[in-house]
Amino acid sequence: MPETIKTFYEVFMNTYPGFLEAVLVTLKVTAIAVVLGTAFGIVFALMKISRSKVLQTIANLYITIIRGTPLIVQIMFLYYGITSIVVLSNFWAGAIALGVHNGAYIAEIFRGAIQGVDRGQREASLALGMNRTQAMRRIIFPQALRRAIPPLGNQFIITLKDSSLVYLIGVSELFARANREAAANFMPFETFLVVGLYYLILVLIFTWLLKLYENKLNVDGS
Amino acid sequence: MIKTMNLHKSFGELEVLKGIDLDINPGQVVVLVGVSGSGKSTLLRCLNFLEKAEEGTVSIDGRAIDRKKDDLSQVRAEVGMVFQHFNLFPHKTVLENIMEAPLIVKKMDKEKAKQLALTLLEKVGLSDKADVYPNKLSGGQKQRVAIARALAMEPKALLFDEPTSALDPELVGEVLQVMQDLANEGMTMVVVTHEMKFAKEVANRIVMLDEGVIIEDADPDTFFNHSTNKRTRQFLEMVNV
Repeated sequence: MPETIKTFYEVFMNTYPGFLEAVLVTLKVTAIAVVLGTAFGIVFALMKISRSKVLQTIANLYITIIRGTPLIVQIMFLYYGITSIVVLSNFWAGAIALGVHNGAYIAEIFRGAIQGVDRGQREASLALGMNRTQAMRRIIFPQALRRAIPPLGNQFIITLKDSSLVYLIGVSELFARANREAAANFMPFETFLVVGLYYLILVLIFTWLLKLYENKLNVDGS
Repeated sequence: MIKTMNLHKSFGELEVLKGIDLDINPGQVVVLVGVSGSGKSTLLRCLNFLEKAEEGTVSIDGRAIDRKKDDLSQVRAEVGMVFQHFNLFPHKTVLENIMEAPLIVKKMDKEKAKQLALTLLEKVGLSDKADVYPNKLSGGQKQRVAIARALAMEPKALLFDEPTSALDPELVGEVLQVMQDLANEGMTMVVVTHEMKFAKEVANRIVMLDEGVIIEDADPDTFFNHSTNKRTRQFLEMVNV
């Protein structure tokens, strides 16, 4: 056992310069996927609850396809699909694929949150003379956003971990780096233990930030 | 000023309003009464188009409103509504609740909207609550804020949908007092309520609904003391007056 700890320590010390670099790539991919996914999510959630049958159908189709197929297939599909049409780096192809994937789940989070706002809020807004867009933007959506924050945080954590899958299309993020390192140092057990620790710490930091934000919201208003 | 002609409304198979003709004049305080399910709340909600009547018309100031062609937001801006469950905006302070519609709908200048909101808060006796969030208020205070919020649009008429039904008994009085003050100022009001004392003392017209039709339309004295309608008598016995 002490021997294992010693090699673990050695692996950690040998890998951290490269791993920290790769952490940045992981965080960038995740950040882009989160921003894209949230934008997609809001748009498709609004389409799904809209009165237009066409928009509803498009949103349903998107959500069904994304949720019904593995992320890894979507990454490959989008990577070969997009790069055959436009010139795009592996990094961006991966980030976009992850964003599109996330959008479907986030759309469902927002839809649930919007529909969870008491219908009296909408009626009060309309009764005051607001139109439907004003009622949504000023009254319903801000309340839905608060409800959506815990499940959104959850989804963002999943995104952070799922970002490891873009190693398959050659993005040099944390997992790709670990994979390469393990092949070179012949210590896969220790190496993947180290990289697991990196992910765990990232998730813990994010969870903590989310908690702070939620507490701030609770102080600010009901 | 609000007039309905032959208003019909169904929820699925159930016909809730069966041809309502009602003409409300400016300055009138009309109380709608009836047993639960008689259609009184639905009628009230048809008056500002929160419910869509299948047949018949609602006219405001002599103009029949067409759901498809008219801007309903504009119509609603002129007819305020107070709800049973207050429906204050929980993410906004009391002051912001009142300022919201003037700012967004009327595009009022912010400073002016704030002054208006403060004036209205004083009117309902809650000047000290301007900066708190609704969840810090009692039910009676919430409803008074809701009334101030509706007044901020300077409506031609106010609709009240069971404004005191969700309140603890000791909080009913403060809300009724504000409503009575409004009535004294000449506000046109249509009120669905079970507060028979309010109906007797403040209303100048009682409209009784039963199974989707108006069965009595009278002044309070006639309604409470001289009604010859059998259903009205039954109802009055039931509510103990």
